[in-house]
Amino acid sequence: MLAVVLMITLLSACGGKGGNGASPPASASSGDTASPSASPSDSVSPSTSAPELKGKLVIWTFFDQVKDMAAKFEEKNPGVQVEVKMFPGDQYQTKLLTALQTGKDLPDIFDLERGYIGKFIDSKFLTDLSAMGGEELVKDYIPYVQGLGRSSDGKLKAISDHSSPGGFWYLRETAKQYLGTDDPAQIGEMVGSWDKLIALGEKVYADSKGKVHLIENAGDLFDIMAYNTEPWVKDGKLNIDPKWQETYDLQQKIRAGNVDAKLPFMSAGWGTALNSGTVVLTSMPAWAGFMVDNKDDKAVGKFGVAPAPLGFYTGGTYRGIYDKSPNKELAYEFLKYIASPEWQDYNLGKTGNMPGNKAVYEKNLDTFKSAFFGDQNILKPYYDTIKEMPALSADKYGEDILSLWRKVASQGITNNTPYDKVVGDFKKEVKNAFPELKTD
Amino acid sequence: MRPVHSKIDKSFYGYFFIAPFFIGFAVVGLAPILYTFYLSLTKWDGFSDPVYVGAANYTRLLHDSFFYQTIGSTLVIWVMSIVPQLILALALALILNERFVKGKHFFRAIFYFPHIVTPVTLGVLFSLMFDWQTGSINKMLESIGLIHDPINWFNNPWWSRIIVASVICWQYFGFNMIVFIAGLQSISSEVYEAAAVDGATKGTIIRKITLPLLRPVFLFTFITSVIGGLQLFDAPLMLGDGPGNSTRTMIMYLYETAFKNFDYSYGSAIAYGIFIVVMFFTAITARASRLKD
Repeated sequence: MLAVVLMITLLSACGGKGGNGASPPASASSGDTASPSASPSDSVSPSTSAPELKGKLVIWTFFDQVKDMAAKFEEKNPGVQVEVKMFPGDQYQTKLLTALQTGKDLPDIFDLERGYIGKFIDSKFLTDLSAMGGEELVKDYIPYVQGLGRSSDGKLKAISDHSSPGGFWYLRETAKQYLGTDDPAQIGEMVGSWDKLIALGEKVYADSKGKVHLIENAGDLFDIMAYNTEPWVKDGKLNIDPKWQETYDLQQKIRAGNVDAKLPFMSAGWGTALNSGTVVLTSMPAWAGFMVDNKDDKAVGKFGVAPAPLGFYTGGTYRGIYDKSPNKELAYEFLKYIASPEWQDYNLGKTGNMPGNKAVYEKNLDTFKSAFFGDQNILKPYYDTIKEMPALSADKYGEDILSLWRKVASQGITNNTPYDKVVGDFKKEVKNAFPELKTD
Repeated sequence: MRPVHSKIDKSFYGYFFIAPFFIGFAVVGLAPILYTFYLSLTKWDGFSDPVYVGAANYTRLLHDSFFYQTIGSTLVIWVMSIVPQLILALALALILNERFVKGKHFFRAIFYFPHIVTPVTLGVLFSLMFDWQTGSINKMLESIGLIHDPINWFNNPWWSRIIVASVICWQYFGFNMIVFIAGLQSISSEVYEAAAVDGATKGTIIRKITLPLLRPVFLFTFITSVIGGLQLFDAPLMLGDGPGNSTRTMIMYLYETAFKNFDYSYGSAIAYGIFIVVMFFTAITARASRLKD
């Protein structure tokens, strides 16, 4: 249970963490040697159409790197002043909602994290970007990245500049020792299906005499499956995708076979295992590099990243325009800038954050190398994910119901509870939190 | 003849002197309380405007088994923390009040320390100590050979409750100890001397003199701990809902409903539900204490 709470606290804080100035080591080091293929000439055009922008913008965020974004925008548009107000931590959404209710001293642009974007997306506070020509900005986007920024009626309400795909991170040395290779493609092949992964995990556990586990937690499958299943709510009814049952069986097998180290995502033990190699493969999103201990660049070149059995993505920061902002046009120019190849190319080079624009992703696909990952091309392992993940729009229930499922099913996995009982308990929780939903 | 009290000067200037408190209370106390009541009669998620729904939230509350469970859990945790806490505090107070104990000021300070630490910190501390895989308690038990496999403390409702209760017990026993010591010192030494002259033993003195004379102090700690105990929140929050929500307290439930699910209206109804529960138990405590008189 503790696991769940830590996980929730940390997950909800993940945006804040990424932004707390603890900028991903991956980024810091990849900056010097990364080689995005963009030449200055081919990236200038999209956002410079309005040459003389003037005015002042206020942005609210929980994410530190927005400051860099603002600085770049100011550099490009000397007449514009961008003020970034940062509220780190998971209280940001409460702060934002309270401010929106009072309607005073509000920003022109505010950031929304994937964990709660669904609650805001259908609200009256967000400007309809489709009406402002926003479709043009996301026409080359990765489907799922633009999908999450849409309201239930399909209108574009918020835009992200990155794609947060997840994969297995591993210490090359540990991988060589227990898997016999540190090649991302080969490892990806070795864990190409869940059955293969479980068999491999049992072998690792036996070979290491119980000291090393293949993955961190059977619960990682919640994150992976969440975006490979149907939405939790359909037509006002709770919808439990049958895949959750298969997943639950797999999770029980993983736990029974000692494939996982039973460490909850982002907990202290989880971080230690990632850095010490007592867990071989850690599933995490591209932005979570700050969890790697990279003091004095000591982790540079030591890590690799391989694709998980199924593609997934975790987290993601979206940006929308306040509906009553007097500076809508200027705010739109800002969104236009972060959606542009110019910014996303620069950002990939500087921070290693994967672009949300598919065209930018593809342009760098064969050439981008990350020094942090020992010059591994880190765009490749995620490419299939990027292409194939379905575009789902956020709804106000998805993330909350997922966390209820995570809570109930995690206990079920630990206690070996039959699936039907888990579903029964889960329905009770859902019914209680959202009485308006039908659960039968 | 005019009644005596009318001679008191009832100048209205007096109202100015008490006004600051009442203005402050009206703004930061009364207004939110009334607004909460208004919200509890609506349906409001924070995004749209509140819609009046009458007593619907209260009907829902009356049928909410999770709410009843949180009342039960809160009481269980409270009892498990208050009993050892008061015994410990009283025993230590009696010992540290003896003349022959050396360094009693030092020990009083030491025992009071946990009370200075914020409950959130304590919660995190205990959750790390009792972690299933990496906690120091399990490592210690394993190294001395008491257990072979790590114990999943937070997977067992009773272990979880015991841990939550011990966090609270550990945090407050020092505070109650200080209150008891203050009470002990207010007992006149003449009574003890008289008892000693009459040949009473230490045990008799404690039973016949100390404890009866400490009764007002007991009442004070008891009533404050009823109110405080029923509002348990921060430390248990850090330790989580527990298996099958067994360590979810009333206030945690309120917090989760209002600020995690953004169901402000139902959260407000829960707040009033908690108010009634707390009133009920405070009344019982007050009544029980009066019966003994």
